[in-house]
Amino acid sequence: MPVTSEVSEDGKMTTIKIGGRFDFAVQNEFRDCYYNAKTDGGAKFIIDMGGANYMDSSALGMLLMMREYLGGNTADISIENSSPDIKNILTVANFQSLFHMV
Amino acid sequence: MAYFTPKQPEETGAPVDGARRAQKILVVDDDLPSRLTLVGLIESQGHQVLQADDGVQALAMFRQETPDLILMSGDMPHIDGYEATRQIKASDAEAFVPVIFLATTSNNQELEKCLDAGSDDVIEKPCNPVLLKARINALLHIRDLYHTVQEQKNELTAHQKRLQRERLLAGRLFTKIVNTGTLELPNIKSMLSPMSLFSGDILLSAPKPSSGLHVLLGDFTGHGLAAATGALPVASVFYGMTEKGYSVAEIVSEINTKLRNILPTDMFLAACMIDLNPGSHTLTIWNGGIPPVIIYSGKQKRIVNRIVPRHLPLGVAGDKEFNRRVDVVDMKQGDRIYIHSDGITETIAPSGEMFGRERLTKIFESALHPDDLYDEIRARLQAFRAGGAQRDDVTLIEIEYHQAALEATVNLEHGKNIPAVLPPSSWNFSLDLGAELLRHFDPLPMVIQAICDMQGFHGQRQQLYTVFSELFSNALDHGILNLDSQLKKTADGFAKYYLERESRLATQSKGKITIEISHKGTRQGGELTVRVEDTGKGFNHEDDMLALEKNQGNSGRGIPLLYSMCDEVKYHGSGNAVTVVFRWCECGASNS
Repeated sequence: MPVTSEVSEDGKMTTIKIGGRFDFAVQNEFRDCYYNAKTDGGAKFIIDMGGANYMDSSALGMLLMMREYLGGNTADISIENSSPDIKNILTVANFQSLFHMV
Repeated sequence: MAYFTPKQPEETGAPVDGARRAQKILVVDDDLPSRLTLVGLIESQGHQVLQADDGVQALAMFRQETPDLILMSGDMPHIDGYEATRQIKASDAEAFVPVIFLATTSNNQELEKCLDAGSDDVIEKPCNPVLLKARINALLHIRDLYHTVQEQKNELTAHQKRLQRERLLAGRLFTKIVNTGTLELPNIKSMLSPMSLFSGDILLSAPKPSSGLHVLLGDFTGHGLAAATGALPVASVFYGMTEKGYSVAEIVSEINTKLRNILPTDMFLAACMIDLNPGSHTLTIWNGGIPPVIIYSGKQKRIVNRIVPRHLPLGVAGDKEFNRRVDVVDMKQGDRIYIHSDGITETIAPSGEMFGRERLTKIFESALHPDDLYDEIRARLQAFRAGGAQRDDVTLIEIEYHQAALEATVNLEHGKNIPAVLPPSSWNFSLDLGAELLRHFDPLPMVIQAICDMQGFHGQRQQLYTVFSELFSNALDHGILNLDSQLKKTADGFAKYYLERESRLATQSKGKITIEISHKGTRQGGELTVRVEDTGKGFNHEDDMLALEKNQGNSGRGIPLLYSMCDEVKYHGSGNAVTVVFRWCECGASNS
């Protein structure tokens, strides 16, 4: 599975793991990972890019959709373990101003 | 707008609620008793029956009555059943009419002969009524399916053709609107290579009213038609606001607002907009999401600067979060600016490897002559892709900084001899602009627009703009902000000057600029008078004029320009007020 997710025991932290190509083909799987998550106070989301080897601009759009769905400026979303290529795509678009980049 | 909709069952003759619609069945048999038995059987199943007693009659009926199914005997006078079937099958390429052969024996040789003639089924005489009913129903069902598929195929083909025509038309329209006014200057080379008919990349360029030019390179999320639709509003804002004299910061912020309103959340425009200004030898850049802009020095033969994207792409940030901050870089004759979409660095070789930034940088390092750089980049990209498919839109622009070529984008003398469109009338207005307002508001586009509208000065817009911006920036920079123009003369001086100007403007709270504009009719035409006064301490304009006559430096360009473009220029008081006069005449020639 290219996209999988895990919710912590207290339900407050959702980790979404991306594997392989992060593009429009995994749009539905990606959305399902956060669609039903609790978004009340203190909910935290981690996108683990460790297994991703490719990302395109439609994936950037998917990240924006997620951020808006989870409350826009109040959403707490971190992007972790990005490869240099993926980090480059994220920083060219200045996504570090919208997401925590670890 | 009728698009493809599957036919309803009753239209295709498919079973409705399990009951079959009555169909036309042709029974061909020269043996009357046998034929009448069959007719009775089929009529009792609810079908309409046609009869023929030989092949000749069968063929005539087939053409006139277009039956849905045929029961055919073999041996008949004139034309036998085999030949009739062959002819029927040869002529029904479009519509499938099943033929059931009525065989007199079950020997293989005869059955083979029936099938060779093209029959779809064979049933032995005398017919078992239940078996015959089953065979007829099965074949009518296949015929229905065949027709449904055939109709859908025809509709699909028609639909495809229509879509293709519409796409072609839209493509031409799109290209026309987006590329309106694209500059063709000897110092600019560019390629826009879309992967489909519609490009998700856009490249816009237009001359500014005060000489120099604006360029915008944008890359929408995705590609194709969906990506391209956003290009239309971007192009109209870009061309419209550039023509009216708005700055890069104002234009990108307007585009951002527009795109945020119309695009869905997951779509945006990575964009880089530049203002190349030959008057101040500067390049102003706003970059949101486009790979670093490369500045290559023609003299030093190396990359001297990379302007990284500082901002979110357009259409993402709300009005409050939107950051209009620009980078300002000094330009030297022969410097080259390269802006490209990520389609370049993400070009993929057949091995799956990406072109990447390092390969791009190496081309600059190994180039022998700057003139070859652009072609070299294109050639290397093509070689790298090695015939593989293009995966994204690829856009690249090279602009050589060439002062004379850039200044030629505007013919300043041009405006002088054009009479106003409207008959001369008398009017005046004035504006008092305090320092706080000037922090975020540039009055020039509005003032110029008002003058053009009131007196029909559209042909002189560029000239007016140049004069106004000179008067206004002198009042603001030197009168209100007290900036020293000597600063501009040092190396990288303009960029420093700009930064200093920005920081003073952000904190300045005292002072104001007054602009008074009046127009009146004269015997030959009209006269426009503009007075600009600031609350600063002024300057020694007489000495300055003398010094300026000998000086071709950066800061010396302004005032001589005023003298060359206006019919009168007069400084007042301590030099903190200036009046300029333009005269125009209805015969079409200026009387200056």
